[in-house]
Amino acid sequence: MKKDRELIQEFQNGDEEAFNELVRKYLDLVHGFFQKITNDEMEAEDLAQTVFIKLYKSLKKFRFESEFNTYLYRVNANTANTYFKRNKWRNIIHLDQIIEPVYKDDKQDREWKKEEVMNAVSKLPKKQRLVVMIRISEMLPFKDIGNILHMSEGTAKVNFHHGMKRIKTLLGIIE
Amino acid sequence: MNFESKIRQTLSNSARIIDKEQFINNLTTARHEQKLKRSQAISGILAACLIIIIGVGSYFELDGGAIYSGGNFYFSDSNISNIDFDEFNLNSDNYFIDDLAIYIIEEEDDIWTAFTFLDEIEYDNFINYMEES
Repeated sequence: MKKDRELIQEFQNGDEEAFNELVRKYLDLVHGFFQKITNDEMEAEDLAQTVFIKLYKSLKKFRFESEFNTYLYRVNANTANTYFKRNKWRNIIHLDQIIEPVYKDDKQDREWKKEEVMNAVSKLPKKQRLVVMIRISEMLPFKDIGNILHMSEGTAKVNFHHGMKRIKTLLGIIE
Repeated sequence: MNFESKIRQTLSNSARIIDKEQFINNLTTARHEQKLKRSQAISGILAACLIIIIGVGSYFELDGGAIYSGGNFYFSDSNISNIDFDEFNLNSDNYFIDDLAIYIIEEEDDIWTAFTFLDEIEYDNFINYMEES
């Protein structure tokens, strides 16, 4: 199996199939990430498509200054961030409408609905939101999260801590 | 279980397997559509720019602009010269003499009166000159 670097170089030389190979390789990761942060399967697929379209445009100028993995997570996080911003507006616009029945998981040990959690995440400041999203969906170490978001490990930890604290408040959890 | 783990568990889904080939096909279609839309937008902008350039060019090509003329065209005499006036007068005189000759013939019923009249007109300038000197 070809390495990411080789595939990207082939794509940069005009081989479209190399890009398709990259899509095959990383689709589960990207799609899985968006499945976690959205309620709608179609929406997750649309967001994954947006990520790969962005990659198609940007990989032609990719200079291998960072690992492709890191770059991919960054694109994922930015796309998710845009999705949350858009969704926040959607929530404001439809305040007067009846709330549809939300997704409820069948496992008994879950205390909150997915929509409640993501609604709380969407209300966080940008940096906290990005760190929390990557941490809870991908379980990456803070060092990697720092690399992805161009911040130090310590800053990532602090942002995560503040973000989780705020989510607790928004979910009505009293410590 | 700590809070982070609980949140993670809440978000974990039974991951649906996605058809990769179908996804790649959809992705290719979406990319082509975007490309088409972009080229259409660029063509539209270029066409608009061209129309604006032609419009502005046409406006300044007109004397004094297409909208405000300042009323100068009422007084414009650039296309009329004194020579035109002289020619007009000369032609006008000839027609007048012809008409007068026909009138004399009809009124007097005598063609010689008309001849005399024409002779007088022909030598009019000469007679005037002699009388003045």
